[in-house]
Amino acid sequence: MICPFCSLLCDADDLNEIQCDRRSSSLSLFELSQDTNKRLLPEADRLKSARESLRQAKRVLVAGRIASVATARAAIAFAAKFNATLDLAESGSVFRNVLAIQRVGIYSVSLAEARDHTDLFIVVGDDSIHQTVPRMPNALSRGASRKQTVLLLGTFSIAGVEVWRNAGFEVWSVQCDLNEVPKALSQWSKWSDDRKENTVQGTSMSGPLFHRLSNAGYTTVVWCSKNLPMEQADLWVERMIQWIAKRNEETRCAAIPWASFDGTFVQVCTWLTGFPGRVAFRNGAPEYDPQKFTYERWIEQTSMSRQVESVVVLIDETIAASSFFTPLEKQLLNCSTVIELTGNSELFPTSIAGLETGADMFRADQTLLAHVSPTSKREPFGKPASIWLQGLST
Amino acid sequence: MTTRIHGAICIDGVGESEVRDVHFDGETICSAISPKRIDADYNLPNCIVVAGGIDVHTHIGGGKVNIARLLMPELVLHRPERERASWIAPLSSPVPSTIETGRRYLEMGYTACFEPAVLPANARHAHAEMADIPWLDTGGYLLLGNDRLLLEWIRDGVPQQQINDYVGWMVRTHQCCAVKVVNAGGIDAFKFNQRHMNVDDQHVYFGVTPRQILKSLSIAVEFLGLAHPLHVHCSNLGLAGNIAATMATIDAVEGRRLHLTHAQYHCYGTDGPHGYCSAAGVLADRVNANANLSIDIGQVQFGQTVTLSGDTMHQFANRGLARPRKAIFQDLECQAGCGVLPFRYRQEQYVHSLLWTIGIELFLRVKDPLRVFLTTDHPNGAPFTSYPHLIRLLMDYDFRMSIFSRLHPDVQKSSSLPSLTREYSVEEIIKMTRLGPARALGLNNRGSLTEGNLADLVVYEHSDNPEQMFSRPRMVFRRGELVYRDGVFIGDTIKSTIVAHIDVEAQMDTLLKRLWRTQYGYSTEMIAVRADELMSGSRMVEWTG
Repeated sequence: MICPFCSLLCDADDLNEIQCDRRSSSLSLFELSQDTNKRLLPEADRLKSARESLRQAKRVLVAGRIASVATARAAIAFAAKFNATLDLAESGSVFRNVLAIQRVGIYSVSLAEARDHTDLFIVVGDDSIHQTVPRMPNALSRGASRKQTVLLLGTFSIAGVEVWRNAGFEVWSVQCDLNEVPKALSQWSKWSDDRKENTVQGTSMSGPLFHRLSNAGYTTVVWCSKNLPMEQADLWVERMIQWIAKRNEETRCAAIPWASFDGTFVQVCTWLTGFPGRVAFRNGAPEYDPQKFTYERWIEQTSMSRQVESVVVLIDETIAASSFFTPLEKQLLNCSTVIELTGNSELFPTSIAGLETGADMFRADQTLLAHVSPTSKREPFGKPASIWLQGLST
Repeated sequence: MTTRIHGAICIDGVGESEVRDVHFDGETICSAISPKRIDADYNLPNCIVVAGGIDVHTHIGGGKVNIARLLMPELVLHRPERERASWIAPLSSPVPSTIETGRRYLEMGYTACFEPAVLPANARHAHAEMADIPWLDTGGYLLLGNDRLLLEWIRDGVPQQQINDYVGWMVRTHQCCAVKVVNAGGIDAFKFNQRHMNVDDQHVYFGVTPRQILKSLSIAVEFLGLAHPLHVHCSNLGLAGNIAATMATIDAVEGRRLHLTHAQYHCYGTDGPHGYCSAAGVLADRVNANANLSIDIGQVQFGQTVTLSGDTMHQFANRGLARPRKAIFQDLECQAGCGVLPFRYRQEQYVHSLLWTIGIELFLRVKDPLRVFLTTDHPNGAPFTSYPHLIRLLMDYDFRMSIFSRLHPDVQKSSSLPSLTREYSVEEIIKMTRLGPARALGLNNRGSLTEGNLADLVVYEHSDNPEQMFSRPRMVFRRGELVYRDGVFIGDTIKSTIVAHIDVEAQMDTLLKRLWRTQYGYSTEMIAVRADELMSGSRMVEWTG
């Protein structure tokens, strides 16, 4: 059985035996959700009304959280039909990696490969990585029988360190400013036993640690782009990629640039349009501009132009604790019609992918596409988002 | 629906090329139909009728293909540039979207294409992506020979039967139709920082050699009765002198059937003005003398493209040649890897010119068109849309020499190409692109106009310029339905995924279910692709073997 609540897609014979905060909180949210039972109009009338709004719309935005291949396909076909802009909730974190990769490329490694072969992990960030992907340490560990080392670089708490230790790693933790990490790693690369300077300025990295790092046969560097706090994080990612590339001149090193759920959409959008997201359709053909075709900018422009014939199709087939739009964006959206395809939607209640309905979902390293069978015993309140989108298109 | 085509010359490499009627009833070609029963009747003088084209080696689905798209958004052409071309326009990018891939293949008269490098962990993705390629039947070759489990077993000397069962389980579980090996053992060795691996070199960690891996896999493929022989990307890709490794690869399978892919990249000698020369004659002689061998070429054409390969070892070694200067490499799931490099082939560059001549030389030197297939290893040598141009190069000596005269002067001085005056006939081109691939893949219902075959048919209008003729057919039928006519796409029809029919051994299933979680950290359920996943709406599964 595969857990659909984060992009790690944990697989276990009995998911109830998995200890995971994110899974517990997602299940709680799901249990609390209930059929709103406020759908007074018949389905045909609801669809007719929404179609009419779409027919009259001069600007259409498709946004939200898409977790399955089927909904990604349907959303792209829908956006092409209505010449919509298409940008998802977490594209901000996805594009920190994508922009850097499109400039310089990358050397990356998949999860099972890293787990099997890496003797040194360098995890960059802070404790928030454990909220985003709680079971990442378990997924990367081969257990106590094969000793692996992890170097935590950034601002990890003692509890954060323990998470890795409990997963079976030998843990080194170095507190440092994340902005300085690429520089610190470069200094490490230049280090040798006979050097006089035995520390990296601004960090507690010192000779013994350098020695351990230098002897690594295969180093995997992990970061979670969602949890990078700096401005222009794509430039930080680029510097990390360049360090990894240089290291491969002599030994082996690769990255796991963890993104988010949007990985499934990124893959499908790339094969169907040639671009990884942030596309706008003109006459049915996709145009790509990662700076221009964002949902934030669409809302801003629509608000400024006070264009009343604008429609936002908001899709969410996941269980997310946070709402999609910020309060400011909600305010700006007052002038648009919002067609909501979510679990709580009164008009178009949407089932949860991988929980209420089966779904093909990419693991976040985007190497493996899993078929996640539904595990909920409750009868779904809603329909898959892909079905609603097809209904709205006809 | 019954259809008759008459007035056209039927060419299929099986029967005589002659003007005769072709009838089809529903999805299949049939013997004559009573005139009263014919629903659609096409009189097509000055045309030829052939079976739908089959591309045995084209990268159209899966991780590395999508990575190539992601890497290079700046290479996407603007529409006006696309519309300017005369016969067949360039692709909008070196690796186009799935929809454009389907359209452009159909526009050339191709109806089935095979992705030659399906990483096991990535198989569901590859199938999902290929499902979105309209108009084409598709299939995939499973990438083995760098999977750590197999390397361990060969090292440990497990019985060959265990490896046979493993290969069968893997092909069946990932719904593929053949087995491919890329730089046997070398991809995994690179993960252990081994930078070179010849056919008899040992893997630095496992101690196994490519020769052992090739032999073991070729035995397994033969034992399982797979229609397509082991599909091999040899060791030492692109290196001067690699013809020795290619010969050693052929020797390694000890006379069993073998397909050498993108052979052009694997037949270089070390002579010549820059330490690089053609060894096409050596390979062609070997192919001509051994009926167990077939090759596809991987022809280079000049211009911008992207190279993508599972051969991380050699792609990484070539990283300095990337244009634009960026590349993506991946180490993947204890099974393989990939390297994606943008690349620009230039005719004024010695080695690039040499590669162009070597590919053409191979085409011309291999005598049997049923054992040499027309490929550019799309997009590695060139985009697949260059096939009509390539066909003209093969059919027209003067045209060939007009291009040759623009190449690097040292290539012109040293190449034997001017002395190869052979010009392919239309019949030979049809064999090379239809009948030969169908036979090589065990597609017994495709590749010719034989009664009972699928009515996947293409009508080309005769022209003295083969590039023009093969660029745009008059009509394309799929499963008996007219789907393309005079530049207009009329509709689509059913689409098959071609899968090898293999019975899985229960013992192997039990063993792998146990080992999988240790090796990969997840169960086999995570990666097993069920046949019914490949069937929905207008999609179906077709079994071979």
